[in-house]
Amino acid sequence: MKTLILGAAAAALLHITPTVILVDRPEVVSRLLDGADRFTAREVHLSSADERRLHDAAGWTPPDDVITFYLGKRADRVEGVLVFMRVDSPHGPMEVAVGFDKAGAIRGVEVTKATVETKPWIMEALRAGLTDQYRGLASTASPAGAAAVKGKVGAMAAYMAELVDRGVTHAGAAYRLFYR
Amino acid sequence: MLYDLRRSDARVRWLVTLLLATLGVAYVFGAWMVGMYAGFTPRSVAATYVEPTTMNMAMPAETTTVVERDVTPAEMGHEEQHQVDRALLVQDTHVHVPMYGVIAAILSVVALGLAIPRWMGFALITLLFAAPWLDFMGMWLTKLASPHFAVVTLAGGWAMGLGYTIVAALALWQMWRPAKGAQT
Repeated sequence: MKTLILGAAAAALLHITPTVILVDRPEVVSRLLDGADRFTAREVHLSSADERRLHDAAGWTPPDDVITFYLGKRADRVEGVLVFMRVDSPHGPMEVAVGFDKAGAIRGVEVTKATVETKPWIMEALRAGLTDQYRGLASTASPAGAAAVKGKVGAMAAYMAELVDRGVTHAGAAYRLFYR
Repeated sequence: MLYDLRRSDARVRWLVTLLLATLGVAYVFGAWMVGMYAGFTPRSVAATYVEPTTMNMAMPAETTTVVERDVTPAEMGHEEQHQVDRALLVQDTHVHVPMYGVIAAILSVVALGLAIPRWMGFALITLLFAAPWLDFMGMWLTKLASPHFAVVTLAGGWAMGLGYTIVAALALWQMWRPAKGAQT
């Protein structure tokens, strides 16, 4: 009985998995839009046809059919583009920031949000060099960060890496289809 | 009365006390989390759970439109309203409802040991189980029927707090109050 009660109490506490900020957005901006001194939010409200096109390309549709690109500019020239992608999992959502350079290649990827539950797994994947795998990738390329860290990390960290891959894939498709 | 907490072994009373304290901590942080993500007003709860179409948001248009505006890095950091979509609510319901049932059952077991009238016992147990039902029924009705049902979720949340408070207050008072005539 006591075990049952304590187990239930522990579960009651553990089921709460609030979001934790791994990197705040201004910090992400300074890392992925380095050199920009002016910023523009470009909201793309997708039509039904474009929504289907995106779904066919990446198996994903954005919340409310809106994709927001953040453009970093210097002297009115676009230095880079940043997009935040939410990726859901049974263990809670994570947010991935993907920065593109002027040529359209990935400048960097940051995992900005996790949950209390997923944070240790994500940190393990990051320590294994997950985000290094994306640097320089074209928006058309299939990210393979998870494959690169597989074997160096545990099963859950490898699963988190797959989710980050998915976020990068979504960002690449969004950029390719609706930014360029 | 199936058993009497007042006359139970001190170890049982200590267990119940720690259990109530632990659940109390969980409820406090639960309320904190609700404040962070859903809020305590019908409007904010509705904004969290409602389907976009019932909030009069635009349906996908015939043509894609682009809107640009200048922002500061600080504005980029501005958090949007946390929203729980249907898939996440399915998951939340699956995870939370069984646990709420277990918590309601545990508090009901504590209530069975309270020196209260039989009808009050029935009412208290009903309240403990009704609270999570109201909570999740409100979320689903807000999503599927009307944003006005956000008040049902709020009622469920407050009912959960009320049920816990009544059980905890009565149990602690009845378990630990000095016995009449005892030396102080």
